[in-house]
Amino acid sequence: MKRMWLVGLNTFRESIRKKTLYIILIFALIVIGASKLFSFLTAEEELKMIKDVSFSAIEFFGALIAIFGALYAVSAEIERRTIYTLLTKPIRRSDFVIGKFFGVSMIIFVNFVLAAAFFIGLLIFKKSPPDIQVFKTLLLIFFELILIGSITLALSTFTSDAFNIICSFFLYIVGHLTSYGKELIERMENIVMKGLTDMLYTLVPNYENFNIRDKIVVGLDVSWSYVGWTVLYGILYMCIALYIALYFFEKREV
Amino acid sequence: MAIIETKELTKHYILGRKKIVVGLEKVNLEINQGEIFGILGPNGSGKTTCLKLLLGILFPTSGEAYIMGRPPHDIEMKQHVGFLPENPYYYDYLTGPELLWFYAGLFGLDIDTAKKRIEYLLELVELHTAKRLHLRHYSKGMLERIGLAASLINDPEILILDEPTTGLDPIGCRDTRNLLLKLKEQGKTILLSSHFLSEVERVCDRIAIFHRGYLLATGTLDGLNKQYQAENLEDLFVKTICKFDNQQNVTTGETT
Ligand SMILES: Nc1ncnc2c1ncn2[C@@H]1O[C@H](COP(=O)(O)OP(=O)(O)OP(=O)(O)O)[C@@H](O)[C@H]1O
Ligand SMILES: [Mg+2]
Repeated sequence: MKRMWLVGLNTFRESIRKKTLYIILIFALIVIGASKLFSFLTAEEELKMIKDVSFSAIEFFGALIAIFGALYAVSAEIERRTIYTLLTKPIRRSDFVIGKFFGVSMIIFVNFVLAAAFFIGLLIFKKSPPDIQVFKTLLLIFFELILIGSITLALSTFTSDAFNIICSFFLYIVGHLTSYGKELIERMENIVMKGLTDMLYTLVPNYENFNIRDKIVVGLDVSWSYVGWTVLYGILYMCIALYIALYFFEKREV
Repeated sequence: MAIIETKELTKHYILGRKKIVVGLEKVNLEINQGEIFGILGPNGSGKTTCLKLLLGILFPTSGEAYIMGRPPHDIEMKQHVGFLPENPYYYDYLTGPELLWFYAGLFGLDIDTAKKRIEYLLELVELHTAKRLHLRHYSKGMLERIGLAASLINDPEILILDEPTTGLDPIGCRDTRNLLLKLKEQGKTILLSSHFLSEVERVCDRIAIFHRGYLLATGTLDGLNKQYQAENLEDLFVKTICKFDNQQNVTTGETT
Protein backbone atom coordinates (compact mmCIF):
# COMPACT_ATOMS: atom_id res chain seq x y z
CA MET A 1 0.00 0.00 0.00
CA LYS A 2 2.76 2.38 0.99
CA ARG A 3 4.59 1.64 -2.26
CA MET A 4 1.57 2.52 -4.35
CA TRP A 5 1.36 5.84 -2.53
CA LEU A 6 5.00 6.54 -3.19
CA VAL A 7 4.58 5.87 -6.90
CA GLY A 8 1.48 8.05 -6.93
CA LEU A 9 3.10 10.88 -5.02
CA ASN A 10 6.10 10.78 -7.29
CA THR A 11 3.86 11.05 -10.35
CA PHE A 12 2.01 13.94 -8.81
CA ARG A 13 5.19 15.73 -7.80
CA GLU A 14 6.59 15.44 -11.30
CA SER A 15 3.44 16.86 -12.85
CA ILE A 16 3.55 19.83 -10.50
CA ARG A 17 7.16 20.59 -11.24
CA LYS A 18 6.76 20.05 -14.94
CA LYS A 19 4.18 22.83 -15.11
CA THR A 20 2.75 21.91 -18.51
CA LEU A 21 -0.63 21.08 -17.02
CA TYR A 22 -0.71 24.51 -15.37
CA ILE A 23 -1.10 26.05 -18.78
CA ILE A 24 -4.31 24.15 -19.30
CA LEU A 25 -5.49 25.17 -15.84
CA ILE A 26 -4.69 28.81 -16.56
CA PHE A 27 -6.77 28.61 -19.72
CA ALA A 28 -9.66 27.22 -17.70
CA LEU A 29 -9.38 30.07 -15.22
CA ILE A 30 -9.26 32.65 -17.99
CA VAL A 31 -12.40 31.27 -19.57
CA ILE A 32 -14.20 31.17 -16.23
CA GLY A 33 -13.08 34.70 -15.49
CA ALA A 34 -14.12 35.92 -18.91
CA SER A 35 -17.65 34.59 -18.46
CA LYS A 36 -18.50 37.53 -16.26
CA LEU A 37 -17.62 40.06 -18.94
CA PHE A 38 -21.08 39.84 -20.44
CA SER A 39 -22.26 42.75 -18.38
CA PHE A 40 -24.94 43.82 -20.88
CA LEU A 41 -27.06 40.91 -19.70
CA THR A 42 -29.51 41.17 -16.84
CA ALA A 43 -28.16 39.99 -13.51
CA GLU A 44 -30.07 36.71 -13.73
CA GLU A 45 -28.95 35.95 -17.27
CA GLU A 46 -25.42 36.85 -16.38
CA LEU A 47 -25.42 34.33 -13.54
CA LYS A 48 -26.70 31.64 -15.89
CA MET A 49 -23.98 32.54 -18.32
CA ILE A 50 -21.29 32.32 -15.67
CA LYS A 51 -22.50 28.92 -14.53
CA ASP A 52 -22.88 27.53 -18.01
CA VAL A 53 -19.48 28.68 -19.23
CA SER A 54 -17.71 27.71 -16.01
CA PHE A 55 -19.12 24.21 -15.82
CA SER A 56 -18.20 23.63 -19.44
CA ALA A 57 -14.71 25.03 -18.94
CA ILE A 58 -14.07 22.96 -15.81
CA GLU A 59 -15.23 19.86 -17.62
CA PHE A 60 -13.43 20.43 -20.91
CA PHE A 61 -10.10 21.63 -19.55
CA GLY A 62 -10.33 19.03 -16.81
CA ALA A 63 -10.67 16.37 -19.49
CA LEU A 64 -7.54 17.70 -21.19
CA ILE A 65 -5.64 17.55 -17.92
CA ALA A 66 -6.93 14.03 -17.22
CA ILE A 67 -5.94 12.76 -20.66
CA PHE A 68 -2.50 14.35 -20.79
CA GLY A 69 -1.78 13.64 -17.13
CA ALA A 70 -2.62 9.95 -17.51
CA LEU A 71 -0.80 9.68 -20.79
CA TYR A 72 2.35 11.14 -19.33
CA ALA A 73 2.16 9.05 -16.16
CA VAL A 74 2.90 5.70 -17.76
CA SER A 75 4.42 6.43 -21.15
CA ALA A 76 7.04 8.86 -19.88
CA GLU A 77 8.18 6.29 -17.38
CA ILE A 78 8.70 3.80 -20.19
CA GLU A 79 10.10 6.26 -22.69
CA ARG A 80 12.66 7.65 -20.28
CA ARG A 81 13.43 4.14 -19.09
CA THR A 82 12.94 5.12 -15.45
CA ILE A 83 10.75 2.06 -15.30
CA TYR A 84 13.77 -0.24 -15.53
CA THR A 85 15.00 0.89 -12.18
CA LEU A 86 11.53 1.10 -10.71
CA LEU A 87 10.52 -2.46 -11.54
CA THR A 88 13.73 -3.88 -10.11
CA LYS A 89 12.72 -2.51 -6.74
CA PRO A 90 10.53 -4.68 -4.52
CA ILE A 91 7.35 -3.48 -6.16
CA ARG A 92 4.70 -5.47 -7.97
CA ARG A 93 3.56 -4.45 -11.38
CA SER A 94 0.08 -4.05 -9.97
CA ASP A 95 1.46 -1.64 -7.33
CA PHE A 96 2.88 0.38 -10.18
CA VAL A 97 -0.41 0.58 -12.09
CA ILE A 98 -2.53 1.40 -9.07
CA GLY A 99 0.09 3.87 -7.86
CA LYS A 100 -0.11 5.59 -11.22
CA PHE A 101 -3.88 5.70 -10.89
CA PHE A 102 -3.52 7.40 -7.50
CA GLY A 103 -1.08 9.86 -8.99
CA VAL A 104 -3.31 10.73 -11.93
CA SER A 105 -6.32 11.08 -9.62
CA MET A 106 -4.34 13.47 -7.45
CA ILE A 107 -3.39 15.55 -10.48
CA ILE A 108 -7.01 15.69 -11.61
CA PHE A 109 -8.27 16.45 -8.11
CA VAL A 110 -5.93 19.35 -7.42
CA ASN A 111 -6.54 21.01 -10.78
CA PHE A 112 -10.25 20.46 -10.43
CA VAL A 113 -10.36 21.96 -6.95
CA LEU A 114 -8.44 25.03 -8.07
CA ALA A 115 -10.76 25.67 -11.00
CA ALA A 116 -13.89 24.93 -8.97
CA ALA A 117 -12.73 27.20 -6.13
CA PHE A 118 -12.20 30.01 -8.60
CA PHE A 119 -15.68 29.49 -9.99
CA ILE A 120 -17.30 29.40 -6.56
CA GLY A 121 -15.36 32.50 -5.60
CA LEU A 122 -16.80 34.20 -8.64
CA LEU A 123 -20.34 33.19 -7.68
CA ILE A 124 -19.84 34.55 -4.17
CA PHE A 125 -18.43 37.74 -5.60
CA LYS A 126 -21.61 38.02 -7.68
CA LYS A 127 -23.59 37.71 -4.42
CA SER A 128 -25.08 34.39 -5.42
CA PRO A 129 -23.40 31.75 -3.26
CA PRO A 130 -23.56 28.29 -4.84
CA ASP A 131 -26.46 26.05 -3.88
CA ILE A 132 -26.40 22.29 -3.51
CA GLN A 133 -27.27 21.81 -7.18
CA VAL A 134 -24.01 23.47 -8.19
CA PHE A 135 -22.11 21.05 -5.99
CA LYS A 136 -23.94 18.09 -7.51
CA THR A 137 -22.89 19.24 -10.95
CA LEU A 138 -19.29 19.64 -9.84
CA LEU A 139 -19.27 16.25 -8.14
CA LEU A 140 -20.39 14.52 -11.32
CA ILE A 141 -17.87 16.44 -13.40
CA PHE A 142 -15.15 15.28 -11.02
CA PHE A 143 -16.11 11.63 -11.39
CA GLU A 144 -16.27 12.01 -15.15
CA LEU A 145 -12.71 13.37 -15.13
CA ILE A 146 -11.46 10.47 -13.00
CA LEU A 147 -13.10 8.08 -15.43
CA ILE A 148 -11.51 9.80 -18.43
CA GLY A 149 -8.13 9.60 -16.70
CA SER A 150 -8.43 5.90 -15.90
CA ILE A 151 -9.43 5.08 -19.47
CA THR A 152 -6.38 6.87 -20.86
CA LEU A 153 -4.26 5.13 -18.24
CA ALA A 154 -5.62 1.76 -19.30
CA LEU A 155 -4.94 2.52 -22.96
CA SER A 156 -1.40 3.61 -22.18
CA THR A 157 -0.51 0.14 -20.91
CA PHE A 158 -0.80 -1.37 -24.36
CA THR A 159 -0.89 1.31 -27.08
CA SER A 160 1.34 4.03 -28.42
CA ASP A 161 0.91 7.64 -27.33
CA ALA A 162 -0.50 8.76 -30.66
CA PHE A 163 -3.12 6.05 -30.78
CA ASN A 164 -3.94 6.64 -27.14
CA ILE A 165 -4.61 10.36 -27.67
CA ILE A 166 -6.78 9.69 -30.69
CA CYS A 167 -8.68 6.97 -28.88
CA SER A 168 -9.16 9.02 -25.72
CA PHE A 169 -10.51 12.01 -27.60
CA PHE A 170 -12.67 9.82 -29.78
CA LEU A 171 -14.22 8.24 -26.69
CA TYR A 172 -14.60 11.67 -25.12
CA ILE A 173 -16.58 12.92 -28.10
CA VAL A 174 -18.58 9.78 -28.73
CA GLY A 175 -19.24 9.39 -25.01
CA HIS A 176 -20.90 12.79 -25.08
CA LEU A 177 -22.98 12.07 -28.15
CA THR A 178 -24.69 9.04 -26.69
CA SER A 179 -28.16 10.56 -26.75
CA TYR A 180 -27.82 11.19 -30.49
CA GLY A 181 -26.44 7.70 -30.81
CA LYS A 182 -29.51 6.24 -29.23
CA GLU A 183 -31.78 8.11 -31.60
CA LEU A 184 -29.72 6.91 -34.51
CA ILE A 185 -29.94 3.30 -33.38
CA GLU A 186 -33.70 3.52 -32.99
CA ARG A 187 -34.03 4.56 -36.62
CA MET A 188 -31.88 1.75 -37.97
CA GLU A 189 -33.57 -0.93 -40.01
CA ASN A 190 -30.91 -3.56 -40.44
CA ILE A 191 -31.17 -5.82 -37.37
CA VAL A 192 -27.51 -6.87 -37.40
CA MET A 193 -26.25 -3.32 -37.71
CA LYS A 194 -28.66 -2.28 -35.04
CA GLY A 195 -27.44 -4.99 -32.70
CA LEU A 196 -23.81 -4.11 -33.31
CA THR A 197 -24.19 -0.40 -32.79
CA ASP A 198 -26.34 -1.08 -29.77
CA MET A 199 -23.54 -3.11 -28.27
CA LEU A 200 -20.98 -0.46 -29.12
CA TYR A 201 -23.22 2.10 -27.52
CA THR A 202 -23.30 0.17 -24.26
CA LEU A 203 -19.53 -0.39 -24.28
CA VAL A 204 -18.55 3.23 -24.83
CA PRO A 205 -18.32 5.16 -21.58
CA ASN A 206 -21.42 7.26 -21.37
CA TYR A 207 -19.92 10.60 -20.34
CA GLU A 208 -23.19 12.34 -21.06
CA ASN A 209 -24.62 10.70 -17.93
CA PHE A 210 -22.38 12.96 -15.91
CA ASN A 211 -23.67 16.06 -17.63
CA ILE A 212 -26.45 17.62 -15.57
CA ARG A 213 -25.35 21.20 -16.06
CA ASP A 214 -27.92 22.03 -18.73
CA LYS A 215 -30.66 21.27 -16.22
CA ILE A 216 -28.97 22.93 -13.27
CA VAL A 217 -28.26 26.12 -15.17
CA VAL A 218 -31.92 26.65 -16.05
CA GLY A 219 -32.90 26.02 -12.44
CA LEU A 220 -34.12 22.42 -12.60
CA ASP A 221 -33.25 19.98 -9.81
CA VAL A 222 -31.48 16.69 -10.16
CA SER A 223 -32.17 14.07 -7.53
CA TRP A 224 -29.52 12.64 -5.24
CA SER A 225 -30.41 9.17 -6.38
CA TYR A 226 -29.51 10.09 -9.96
CA VAL A 227 -26.21 11.52 -8.74
CA GLY A 228 -25.57 8.41 -6.66
CA TRP A 229 -26.26 5.98 -9.50
CA THR A 230 -24.12 7.95 -11.89
CA VAL A 231 -21.21 8.01 -9.47
CA LEU A 232 -21.61 4.26 -9.05
CA TYR A 233 -21.60 3.85 -12.83
CA GLY A 234 -18.39 5.87 -12.98
CA ILE A 235 -16.69 3.81 -10.30
CA LEU A 236 -17.74 0.56 -11.92
CA TYR A 237 -16.44 1.63 -15.30
CA MET A 238 -13.25 2.88 -13.70
CA CYS A 239 -12.69 -0.50 -12.06
CA ILE A 240 -13.04 -2.19 -15.42
CA ALA A 241 -10.51 0.21 -16.92
CA LEU A 242 -8.10 -0.46 -14.05
CA TYR A 243 -8.54 -4.18 -14.46
CA ILE A 244 -7.65 -3.88 -18.14
CA ALA A 245 -4.60 -1.81 -17.24
CA LEU A 246 -3.45 -4.41 -14.70
CA TYR A 247 -3.99 -7.23 -17.14
CA PHE A 248 -1.96 -5.70 -19.94
CA PHE A 249 0.79 -4.23 -17.81
CA GLU A 250 1.44 -7.54 -16.08
CA LYS A 251 2.49 -8.99 -19.43
CA ARG A 252 4.20 -5.98 -20.89
CA GLU A 253 7.90 -6.02 -21.64
CA VAL A 254 9.14 -2.54 -20.98
CA MET B 1 25.67 -23.10 -4.41
CA ALA B 2 25.25 -20.55 -7.16
CA ILE B 3 23.57 -17.36 -5.99
CA ILE B 4 22.68 -16.32 -9.54
CA GLU B 5 21.82 -19.00 -12.04
CA THR B 6 20.41 -19.26 -15.53
CA LYS B 7 19.30 -22.47 -17.19
CA GLU B 8 19.12 -22.56 -20.98
CA LEU B 9 18.00 -18.96 -20.81
CA THR B 10 16.76 -17.82 -24.21
CA LYS B 11 15.29 -14.59 -25.46
CA HIS B 12 14.06 -14.05 -29.00
CA TYR B 13 12.75 -10.59 -29.78
CA ILE B 14 9.82 -10.75 -32.11
CA LEU B 15 9.72 -7.89 -34.57
CA GLY B 16 6.68 -8.24 -36.73
CA ARG B 17 5.73 -11.47 -38.39
CA LYS B 18 8.56 -13.87 -39.07
CA LYS B 19 11.27 -11.42 -38.10
CA ILE B 20 13.05 -12.64 -35.01
CA VAL B 21 16.15 -11.21 -33.39
CA VAL B 22 18.14 -13.48 -31.13
CA GLY B 23 18.87 -11.66 -27.91
CA LEU B 24 20.11 -14.63 -25.92
CA GLU B 25 20.43 -18.29 -26.85
CA LYS B 26 20.44 -21.12 -24.31
CA VAL B 27 22.72 -19.50 -21.79
CA ASN B 28 23.77 -21.40 -18.68
CA LEU B 29 25.48 -19.22 -16.10
CA GLU B 30 26.36 -19.80 -12.49
CA ILE B 31 27.62 -17.01 -10.31
CA ASN B 32 28.82 -17.79 -6.83
CA GLN B 33 28.32 -15.91 -3.62
CA GLY B 34 30.98 -13.30 -2.99
CA GLU B 35 32.55 -13.08 -6.40
CA ILE B 36 32.76 -10.32 -8.95
CA PHE B 37 31.59 -11.67 -12.25
CA GLY B 38 32.07 -9.77 -15.49
CA ILE B 39 30.08 -10.19 -18.69
CA LEU B 40 31.96 -9.16 -21.82
CA GLY B 41 30.92 -9.12 -25.43
CA PRO B 42 30.64 -6.96 -28.53
CA ASN B 43 27.75 -4.53 -28.96
CA GLY B 44 24.48 -6.36 -29.32
CA SER B 45 25.80 -9.61 -27.92
CA GLY B 46 23.08 -9.97 -25.32
CA LYS B 47 24.66 -8.64 -22.12
CA THR B 48 21.88 -6.23 -21.31
CA THR B 49 19.27 -8.77 -22.37
CA CYS B 50 20.68 -11.26 -19.90
CA LEU B 51 20.63 -8.81 -17.00
CA LYS B 52 17.11 -7.66 -17.81
CA LEU B 53 15.87 -11.23 -17.92
CA LEU B 54 17.38 -11.91 -14.50
CA LEU B 55 15.47 -8.97 -13.05
CA GLY B 56 12.13 -9.61 -14.70
CA ILE B 57 12.16 -6.53 -16.93
CA LEU B 58 11.97 -8.88 -19.91
CA PHE B 59 10.33 -12.29 -20.00
CA PRO B 60 12.33 -15.25 -21.35
CA THR B 61 11.26 -17.06 -24.50
CA SER B 62 12.38 -20.24 -22.77
CA GLY B 63 14.64 -21.30 -19.96
CA GLU B 64 14.86 -20.15 -16.38
CA ALA B 65 16.67 -17.59 -14.29
CA TYR B 66 17.14 -17.52 -10.53
CA ILE B 67 18.62 -15.10 -8.06
CA MET B 68 19.05 -16.55 -4.57
CA GLY B 69 17.03 -19.47 -5.82
CA ARG B 70 14.04 -17.25 -6.59
CA PRO B 71 12.48 -16.37 -9.96
CA PRO B 72 12.80 -12.87 -11.50
CA HIS B 73 9.40 -11.57 -10.41
CA ASP B 74 9.94 -12.40 -6.74
CA ILE B 75 9.50 -9.35 -4.51
CA GLU B 76 11.38 -10.79 -1.54
CA MET B 77 14.44 -11.41 -3.71
CA LYS B 78 14.43 -7.85 -5.02
CA GLN B 79 14.73 -6.58 -1.48
CA HIS B 80 18.35 -7.81 -1.58
CA VAL B 81 19.32 -6.74 -5.08
CA GLY B 82 20.66 -3.47 -6.43
CA PHE B 83 20.53 -2.66 -10.14
CA LEU B 84 22.15 -0.01 -12.29
CA PRO B 85 20.77 0.04 -15.85
CA GLU B 86 22.91 1.06 -18.78
CA ASN B 87 22.79 4.80 -19.53
CA PRO B 88 20.62 5.36 -16.49
CA TYR B 89 18.05 8.04 -16.80
CA TYR B 90 16.00 9.26 -13.92
CA TYR B 91 13.10 11.53 -13.13
CA ASP B 92 14.01 14.87 -14.64
CA TYR B 93 12.32 16.94 -12.01
CA LEU B 94 13.76 15.38 -8.88
CA THR B 95 16.97 16.26 -7.13
CA GLY B 96 19.54 13.58 -6.29
CA PRO B 97 18.49 13.24 -2.65
CA GLU B 98 14.80 13.14 -3.60
CA LEU B 99 15.48 10.28 -5.99
CA LEU B 100 17.27 8.35 -3.26
CA TRP B 101 14.44 9.05 -0.81
CA PHE B 102 11.95 7.72 -3.28
CA TYR B 103 13.84 4.45 -3.73
CA ALA B 104 14.53 4.17 -0.02
CA GLY B 105 10.77 4.33 0.48
CA LEU B 106 10.17 1.58 -2.03
CA PHE B 107 12.57 -0.62 -0.10
CA GLY B 108 10.71 0.24 3.07
CA LEU B 109 13.73 1.71 4.86
CA ASP B 110 12.84 3.60 8.02
CA ILE B 111 13.54 7.31 8.07
CA ASP B 112 16.67 7.26 10.22
CA THR B 113 18.34 4.49 8.28
CA ALA B 114 17.41 6.12 5.00
CA LYS B 115 18.75 9.48 6.07
CA LYS B 116 22.12 8.08 7.12
CA ARG B 117 22.33 5.92 4.05
CA ILE B 118 21.56 8.80 1.70
CA GLU B 119 24.12 11.09 3.31
CA TYR B 120 26.70 8.35 3.09
CA LEU B 121 25.96 7.50 -0.53
CA LEU B 122 25.99 11.09 -1.70
CA GLU B 123 29.41 11.51 -0.15
CA LEU B 124 30.52 8.26 -1.67
CA VAL B 125 29.67 9.24 -5.24
CA GLU B 126 30.70 12.82 -4.60
CA LEU B 127 27.38 14.40 -5.35
CA HIS B 128 26.87 16.00 -1.96
CA THR B 129 27.71 19.37 -3.51
CA ALA B 130 24.90 19.10 -6.05
CA LYS B 131 22.05 18.40 -3.65
CA ARG B 132 19.62 20.94 -5.02
CA LEU B 133 20.22 20.36 -8.69
CA HIS B 134 17.43 18.72 -10.66
CA LEU B 135 18.50 15.54 -12.41
CA ARG B 136 17.75 17.07 -15.79
CA HIS B 137 20.70 19.37 -15.26
CA TYR B 138 23.06 16.51 -14.41
CA SER B 139 25.90 15.58 -16.72
CA LYS B 140 26.19 12.06 -18.09
CA GLY B 141 28.77 11.02 -15.53
CA MET B 142 26.76 12.55 -12.70
CA LEU B 143 23.75 10.48 -13.76
CA GLU B 144 25.92 7.40 -13.74
CA ARG B 145 27.06 8.30 -10.23
CA ILE B 146 23.60 8.94 -8.85
CA GLY B 147 22.55 5.66 -10.49
CA LEU B 148 25.29 3.86 -8.64
CA ALA B 149 24.21 5.47 -5.38
CA ALA B 150 20.60 4.52 -6.09
CA SER B 151 21.59 0.91 -6.73
CA LEU B 152 23.25 0.78 -3.31
CA ILE B 153 20.42 2.36 -1.33
CA ASN B 154 19.27 -0.93 0.21
CA ASP B 155 22.80 -2.13 0.98
CA PRO B 156 22.20 -5.02 -1.42
CA GLU B 157 23.66 -8.50 -1.12
CA ILE B 158 23.74 -8.73 -4.89
CA LEU B 159 24.68 -5.90 -7.15
CA ILE B 160 23.90 -6.01 -10.86
CA LEU B 161 25.57 -3.27 -12.89
CA ASP B 162 25.17 -2.72 -16.62
CA GLU B 163 28.27 -0.86 -17.80
CA PRO B 164 28.89 0.99 -14.53
CA THR B 165 31.90 2.98 -15.70
CA THR B 166 30.65 4.17 -19.08
CA GLY B 167 30.68 7.96 -19.03
CA LEU B 168 32.80 8.27 -15.91
CA ASP B 169 36.03 10.23 -15.85
CA PRO B 170 39.27 8.38 -15.01
CA ILE B 171 39.01 9.25 -11.35
CA GLY B 172 35.41 8.15 -11.27
CA CYS B 173 36.43 4.86 -12.87
CA ARG B 174 39.12 4.29 -10.31
CA ASP B 175 36.77 5.14 -7.44
CA THR B 176 34.14 2.77 -8.78
CA ARG B 177 36.70 0.03 -9.09
CA ASN B 178 37.83 0.54 -5.51
CA LEU B 179 34.23 0.62 -4.36
CA LEU B 180 33.48 -2.68 -6.04
CA LEU B 181 36.51 -4.28 -4.42
CA LYS B 182 35.45 -2.92 -1.05
CA LEU B 183 31.94 -4.31 -1.50
CA LYS B 184 33.43 -7.66 -2.38
CA GLU B 185 35.38 -7.62 0.85
CA GLN B 186 32.07 -7.17 2.64
CA GLY B 187 30.91 -10.39 1.03
CA LYS B 188 28.64 -8.94 -1.65
CA THR B 189 28.17 -10.59 -4.99
CA ILE B 190 28.60 -8.39 -8.05
CA LEU B 191 27.54 -9.09 -11.61
CA LEU B 192 28.59 -6.47 -14.11
CA SER B 193 28.83 -5.99 -17.83
CA SER B 194 31.55 -3.85 -19.33
CA HIS B 195 33.48 -2.90 -22.42
CA PHE B 196 36.54 -1.82 -20.47
CA LEU B 197 38.78 -4.84 -20.56
CA SER B 198 41.41 -3.38 -18.28
CA GLU B 199 38.77 -2.68 -15.66
CA VAL B 200 37.43 -6.17 -15.90
CA GLU B 201 40.91 -7.61 -15.71
CA ARG B 202 41.53 -5.79 -12.48
CA VAL B 203 38.33 -6.48 -10.58
CA CYS B 204 36.65 -9.62 -11.88
CA ASP B 205 37.17 -13.06 -10.40
CA ARG B 206 35.50 -14.77 -13.30
CA ILE B 207 34.24 -13.63 -16.66
CA ALA B 208 31.87 -14.72 -19.40
CA ILE B 209 32.14 -13.78 -23.05
CA PHE B 210 28.91 -13.35 -24.99
CA HIS B 211 28.56 -13.10 -28.73
CA ARG B 212 25.42 -12.95 -30.84
CA GLY B 213 23.44 -14.18 -27.87
CA TYR B 214 25.63 -17.21 -27.22
CA LEU B 215 27.79 -17.74 -24.18
CA LEU B 216 31.16 -18.56 -25.72
CA ALA B 217 33.40 -18.96 -22.72
CA THR B 218 33.27 -18.70 -18.99
CA GLY B 219 35.84 -19.10 -16.27
CA THR B 220 38.71 -17.37 -14.47
CA LEU B 221 40.95 -15.13 -16.52
CA ASP B 222 44.00 -17.34 -16.09
CA GLY B 223 42.07 -20.46 -16.88
CA LEU B 224 40.62 -19.02 -20.05
CA ASN B 225 43.91 -17.54 -21.18
CA LYS B 226 45.49 -20.97 -20.90
CA GLN B 227 42.59 -22.68 -22.61
CA TYR B 228 42.65 -20.35 -25.59
CA GLN B 229 46.40 -19.74 -25.54
CA ALA B 230 45.82 -16.05 -25.19
CA GLU B 231 48.26 -13.52 -23.80
CA ASN B 232 45.81 -11.16 -22.18
CA LEU B 233 42.12 -10.39 -22.01
CA GLU B 234 42.05 -8.47 -25.27
CA ASP B 235 43.72 -11.31 -27.08
CA LEU B 236 41.32 -13.77 -25.46
CA PHE B 237 38.33 -11.66 -26.41
CA VAL B 238 39.34 -11.45 -30.06
CA LYS B 239 40.29 -15.13 -30.26
CA THR B 240 37.05 -16.50 -28.84
CA ILE B 241 34.97 -14.29 -31.06
CA CYS B 242 36.93 -15.01 -34.23
CA LYS B 243 36.82 -18.71 -33.52
CA PHE B 244 33.05 -18.60 -33.14
CA ASP B 245 32.57 -16.55 -36.31
CA ASN B 246 34.78 -18.93 -38.28
CA GLN B 247 32.84 -21.93 -37.06
CA GLN B 248 29.60 -20.22 -37.98
CA ASN B 249 30.92 -19.48 -41.44
CA VAL B 250 31.99 -23.10 -41.87
CA THR B 251 28.61 -24.45 -40.85
CA THR B 252 26.64 -22.01 -42.93
CA GLY B 253 29.07 -22.63 -45.80
CA GLU B 254 28.34 -26.33 -45.63
CA THR B 255 24.61 -25.97 -45.65
CA THR B 256 24.40 -23.66 -48.62
N1 LIG C 1 13.64 -4.36 -27.39
C1 LIG C 1 14.29 -4.99 -28.36
N2 LIG C 1 13.66 -5.33 -29.51
C2 LIG C 1 14.30 -5.99 -30.48
N3 LIG C 1 15.57 -6.37 -30.43
C3 LIG C 1 16.28 -6.06 -29.34
C4 LIG C 1 15.67 -5.35 -28.25
N4 LIG C 1 16.60 -5.19 -27.29
C5 LIG C 1 17.72 -5.76 -27.76
N5 LIG C 1 17.53 -6.29 -28.99
C6 LIG C 1 18.53 -7.02 -29.79
O1 LIG C 1 19.08 -8.04 -29.00
C7 LIG C 1 20.46 -8.14 -29.22
C8 LIG C 1 21.19 -8.03 -27.89
O2 LIG C 1 21.03 -6.75 -27.37
P1 LIG C 1 21.62 -6.28 -25.97
O3 LIG C 1 21.07 -4.95 -25.66
O4 LIG C 1 21.41 -7.34 -24.97
O5 LIG C 1 23.18 -6.15 -26.32
P2 LIG C 1 24.38 -5.69 -25.39
O6 LIG C 1 25.31 -6.83 -25.30
O7 LIG C 1 23.90 -5.12 -24.13
O8 LIG C 1 25.04 -4.56 -26.29
P3 LIG C 1 25.80 -3.20 -25.87
O9 LIG C 1 27.21 -3.56 -25.58
O10 LIG C 1 25.73 -2.35 -27.09
O11 LIG C 1 25.10 -2.62 -24.70
C9 LIG C 1 20.82 -7.07 -30.23
O12 LIG C 1 20.91 -7.67 -31.49
C10 LIG C 1 19.66 -6.12 -30.19
O13 LIG C 1 19.43 -5.58 -31.46
MG1 LIG D 1 24.03 -3.33 -23.21
